[in-house]
Amino acid sequence: MTPETENQPSNDMELVARTQGGDPTAFDELVVKYSPRLYGLVYHMTSNHEDTNDLLQDIFSKAYRSVANFRGNSSFYTWMHSIAVNMTINFLKKRNRRQHPSLNDPDSRIENDPDFIAATSNADPTKEVGIHELQKKLNAAMMKLSHDHRMAVTMFDIQGIPHAEIAKILKVSEGTVRSRLFYAHRQLQNSLHEFKKN
Amino acid sequence: MSHEPMHRIIRLKRYEQPPEEYFENFLKDFHRRQRAELLRPSIWELLKERIQAAFSEIRVPAMAYAGAAAVAIVASVMILRQPGVANQPQVYTAAYRQAPVTISGGQPVSLRMEPQSEGRFDSLFPPSYLLRPRAANHESPLSF
Repeated sequence: MTPETENQPSNDMELVARTQGGDPTAFDELVVKYSPRLYGLVYHMTSNHEDTNDLLQDIFSKAYRSVANFRGNSSFYTWMHSIAVNMTINFLKKRNRRQHPSLNDPDSRIENDPDFIAATSNADPTKEVGIHELQKKLNAAMMKLSHDHRMAVTMFDIQGIPHAEIAKILKVSEGTVRSRLFYAHRQLQNSLHEFKKN
Repeated sequence: MSHEPMHRIIRLKRYEQPPEEYFENFLKDFHRRQRAELLRPSIWELLKERIQAAFSEIRVPAMAYAGAAAVAIVASVMILRQPGVANQPQVYTAAYRQAPVTISGGQPVSLRMEPQSEGRFDSLFPPSYLLRPRAANHESPLSF
């Protein structure tokens, strides 16, 4: 599996250096570049668009305040994701458990995705499973996972980040990442048993 | 146990995307928030402001210091221009108001006192055995 987006560490380091040199437009470029992927990370953890927006703003504010101390021991990509992960986990610990989800509508392209077609056609024939029904079930299954397991699933299954990179971001071993994914997938299979006849 | 089917299903969540204009506006919102943070004072700044406000309420106006200094100078000059005042003995008078005693039908009074043979004040106050004759006052204490 390859990452959905290409990393450009050299370009990132150049932008970081310019930011550290006092050029705020360089950080703007980093915001534009990283906001979609970090949005996905936070959104699939919180299942709430408004919370994601607020948190993402805080994440970039924190990064901007801390970028002067960034020494390049890791890639900016890893550093930025680590900030996002830590702030998201802290947010979820404080957030009320009864928070209602605020989900974004799936892109219309999902209807042509072979996995979606397979999932809905293999579902229980007595129940009609549409896009929103599937979305609701997936979200409910995700929210049953622990924060650590959900983070691993979000980064690996949804965002396509490799195990090694996830391990760096979470500061754990690759074995731990694989273990978390194994248990998370097993739990998801139990929650989504009606779709597992694939 | 293969988790590939579950991976494919979960992966469908990547289609959940915010509205298209969201990321276009995100940077503007970020700039707006940064400016708001610059205007928003920190906790220490708020605390400092509160303390300054509290002290400003009890602070004496600057003109009061000048006024107090002027009064002190004038008072000092006035005191110093009265030489010897401090050296003169001060006379304290105490008014003793009591209704005068009226003795009606008074008779000359004689009082016999036993001389004190021994005492420390004998030399100072020689004993006297007779009261000096004094006419009794028969007038009213108040005369109009």
